[in-house]
Amino acid sequence: MLEMVIITLLKIIAVLAVVLTGCAYSTYLERKVVAAMQHRIGPSYAGPYGLLQPLADAVKLMFKEDIIPDNVERWTYAMAPAISFIPALLTFAVVPFGMDMTIFGREIKMVLSDMNVGVLFVFAITSMGIYGIVLAGWSSGSKYSLLGSIRSSAQMISYEISYGLSIVGVLFIANTLSLSELIAQQETILDWFIFSQPVGFLLYVTCAVAETNRAPFDLPEAESELVAGYHTEYSSMRFSMFFIGEYANMLAVSAVGTVFFLGGWQGPFTEQVPILSFVWFFVKVFMFMFVYIWLRATFPRFRYDQLMNFGWKILLPLAVVNTVVTGFFVVL
Amino acid sequence: MTLDVAIFFISAIVAVFGATMMITVRNPVASVLYLLVSFAAQAVLFIQLGALFLGVVLIIVYVGAILVLFLFVVMLLNLRGGEDLGQPSRPMSRFSKYLIGALLLVELVFVIRGSAGGTDQTVTGMMGPVVETFGSVQDVGMLLFTTYLYPFELTGVLLLVAIVGAVVIAKRETEREAAQKKQLVEERGHSSEEKVS
Amino acid sequence: MEVQLPEVSLRMMAPELFLFVWALVVITFDVVTKRAQGESVGYLTMVGIAITGGILAITGEGPGFGNMFYNDPMAIFFKIIFLGAAFMAVGSSFGLTKQKIVNHRGEFFGLMLLSTVGMMFLASANELLTIWIGLELTTIPLFVLAAFFKDNKLSVESGLKYFIVGAFSSAVMVYGLSFLYGLTGTTDLLQMKLNLATVHLTFRNIGVILIAAITMLIAGIGFKLGLPPFHQWVPDVYEGAPTPVAAFLSIGSKAAGLAAFAKIFVNGLSAFHGVEMAPNDWGKLAGIVAIAALILGNTVAIRQTNIKRMLGYSSIAQAGYIMIGMVAQSALGLSAVAFYIFAYMFANMGAFAVVTAFEDKTGSCEIKSYAGLAKTSPMLSICMTIFLLSLAGIPPLAGFLAKYFVFAAAIKQASLEGGQWLYWVVGAGLITAVFSLYYYANVIKQMYFSKDDSPYRVGLQAPAMLVVLIGLAGVLVFGLYPEPVLRFAGEVPSMFGFVSP
Repeated sequence: MLEMVIITLLKIIAVLAVVLTGCAYSTYLERKVVAAMQHRIGPSYAGPYGLLQPLADAVKLMFKEDIIPDNVERWTYAMAPAISFIPALLTFAVVPFGMDMTIFGREIKMVLSDMNVGVLFVFAITSMGIYGIVLAGWSSGSKYSLLGSIRSSAQMISYEISYGLSIVGVLFIANTLSLSELIAQQETILDWFIFSQPVGFLLYVTCAVAETNRAPFDLPEAESELVAGYHTEYSSMRFSMFFIGEYANMLAVSAVGTVFFLGGWQGPFTEQVPILSFVWFFVKVFMFMFVYIWLRATFPRFRYDQLMNFGWKILLPLAVVNTVVTGFFVVL
Repeated sequence: MTLDVAIFFISAIVAVFGATMMITVRNPVASVLYLLVSFAAQAVLFIQLGALFLGVVLIIVYVGAILVLFLFVVMLLNLRGGEDLGQPSRPMSRFSKYLIGALLLVELVFVIRGSAGGTDQTVTGMMGPVVETFGSVQDVGMLLFTTYLYPFELTGVLLLVAIVGAVVIAKRETEREAAQKKQLVEERGHSSEEKVS
Repeated sequence: MEVQLPEVSLRMMAPELFLFVWALVVITFDVVTKRAQGESVGYLTMVGIAITGGILAITGEGPGFGNMFYNDPMAIFFKIIFLGAAFMAVGSSFGLTKQKIVNHRGEFFGLMLLSTVGMMFLASANELLTIWIGLELTTIPLFVLAAFFKDNKLSVESGLKYFIVGAFSSAVMVYGLSFLYGLTGTTDLLQMKLNLATVHLTFRNIGVILIAAITMLIAGIGFKLGLPPFHQWVPDVYEGAPTPVAAFLSIGSKAAGLAAFAKIFVNGLSAFHGVEMAPNDWGKLAGIVAIAALILGNTVAIRQTNIKRMLGYSSIAQAGYIMIGMVAQSALGLSAVAFYIFAYMFANMGAFAVVTAFEDKTGSCEIKSYAGLAKTSPMLSICMTIFLLSLAGIPPLAGFLAKYFVFAAAIKQASLEGGQWLYWVVGAGLITAVFSLYYYANVIKQMYFSKDDSPYRVGLQAPAMLVVLIGLAGVLVFGLYPEPVLRFAGEVPSMFGFVSP
């Protein structure tokens, strides 16, 4: 019993450390990649190639003054960053990072909780992510924040349906809701669900970008119209929690997408070298993240009505048709 | 005290606390948040009973969708609590409110006392033993699409009706329709408003 | 896993399925024709209801989905009432759709049909879940229909009021149903009856839970029926809602609520017939509610100046009379209830059709403005008089027979051991019936005994004429020759397993 608790605690610490570092270096990655795409250099002062830049940012944000404007709803204002930050981290509780392996004679699963309804858990948690944004916007008492958060909730509600439907095809084929079972079914590259569910994959990527409020769906924080959207009034660590939350969300969506469509940690030579499964997983998530950043550097922002039309009139019907067609084939 | 019992009591207390706070705080947004807390605790209770699917669906449907809608509405109405919410209720209605509450409480107490007589056994006796896969997605799905297929489909009809109704209520008149209406009213020489007077 | 479905027969559901599809056709037709075809949408709706009636006639009895959908005589009888009410409501709303509803005629008629579909599903339900869903399917379209004049404050108020009351009563009802489910472990009414008897014999303490469940169910259904003390919404909704909707509300949703009441109480909770029934008897509680409805409806209606409000209170009173048959808890009582609703439908829909036509012409619902109508529109006045007299229960009209049967059933039951309290209910019914004559006669007085001629000449459009004629025929024919309906109504309780009729 005690041993189990200790192992779980260790796993939690490890996962948190990896994810938070991942978030920090995602910002670095983003700045570097976007810079390269725009023929700039990007961060380069702190450390070699600017590698210590995230650390410097963190230190800077921590020592800034935490400003709480007068006309905010203090309680919710203070809570909102945490509310947006926690769900993003919670997702990682069910994501398998690598093969189960034996360490010091103990069989250890490389996942915090191997729920048999892991997929549903992921969606339950994703759907909660919206609260932080909505509350932040509302409690700030500023019209930019409020507009940003209203946009955001409308957007997330609209895209959540397609987001959910996009993976239903996968679930039809796999016949399971457990993430580790999903990975087990994608043993060789040909078994990856991206090949049996190409439409589903595209839908997933699109909706995932919208769900995380990233460009070109970043209307909630459209700087040209709304200053900074829902976190306009925030500063210091509270601001950085939103910031980290956004990147943690991206990472979570990428990790889940990897599990759904790209075989999770599956890859060549994992049987011989179990550690390699971590690498494969990391590489796949990295690819996802790269696409995210690439999209940001490439596409202009949607207009609001375009966003709604796209979500309701294109993505949703497509997702429904995809589901129906998949169901049809599965039954056949 | 085992871990199970501890978890039960913690989530039960949190659920009741959330529900109580939800109806007592003045600030509508805080109210929604307390409801959220209560739902989350209830989900834990469901999961503890083995109804994993129900628990997670509770979160997805209520926390993920319905409460967001509530929050959205509260925000759009821009209620911040402390506003004047109309004239104070008359003593009669205030009294009846407490009366109904007290009645429900008495009723609840009696029900709990009554069920101490062994209805829990009754129900288990009536329903047969709990199967091992109780509450699993497969079982719920199976029931939903066989025994309860008809109510399930009927609910679909219900939702369709609700959508049609909502569209009718919420849709703004287009200019063409407004003009058409105006013309009709002019032809008749009086508007529907006059009926009121 | 092996898939096992209950006994499914789509043939049994054919009327409901057809009407559902037809409702969608009506809505689509209106959109496709660019909302220019006001009249034809209405005719299309009436044709659909007529066809559904035809299909219903050839459907027969049997299970549609196990016990969850079962076509028994009661279901068929009530479905006829629902279809009749819908037909007459649609028929009398032509003037309305011509003048006031410009945008959403298709939805107006479509929602009416969808509500009817819900009632029909409810009529066939023999199980708590489907009863509840059916009831919701009935009322949700009615919320929208009540608020259909979006730029009229009264209409919006009535829609909102009805919505809040409806949502609240649904919640109360579900709470009650959950107690029943917890007590018996089943949602099936037949099974529930058996289980209740067993539970009752084994455990003595269930009485309290049953009483809690019964109270909540009476409250929940009482809201839908507009029985006191849950009646406050009725006059406001009747006044604000479009008149044909109010008419439909008074028959359709009322009959639906009564069907649900009969199913849950008279069938499901009847396990205590013969057994020692002292603490678990719902009849007395329902009886008190019925008496309250009779007294309140009949007295407050006297003071109304608006004819729609007056008819609203009158409908509360009528619900009280119907409840008399219900609390008799006998086969005879249930047959009487069925006949009562049937007769009430013709008179009430007819009266509302006249009120609608009058309102379309004059824009007024005041009883005062009916003054002298007999001189300018004599035929219409005669029709209205007959409808009102039938509502008041004057022989030889159908309304009289309906009241007679209800009282007879209650008195028969009262003469049995332990049924003496029913005399009180019957007494209240008889006394208040006299009051009711006053306010119905008031309208007749205005029409006939006013010195001035009415400034209006009210004519009827063809569909409204049809409705009035149907109502007239129903009130007169079934008042003088009720045998066929009585024979049918006598079969209504056949599924309820009463020991002896």
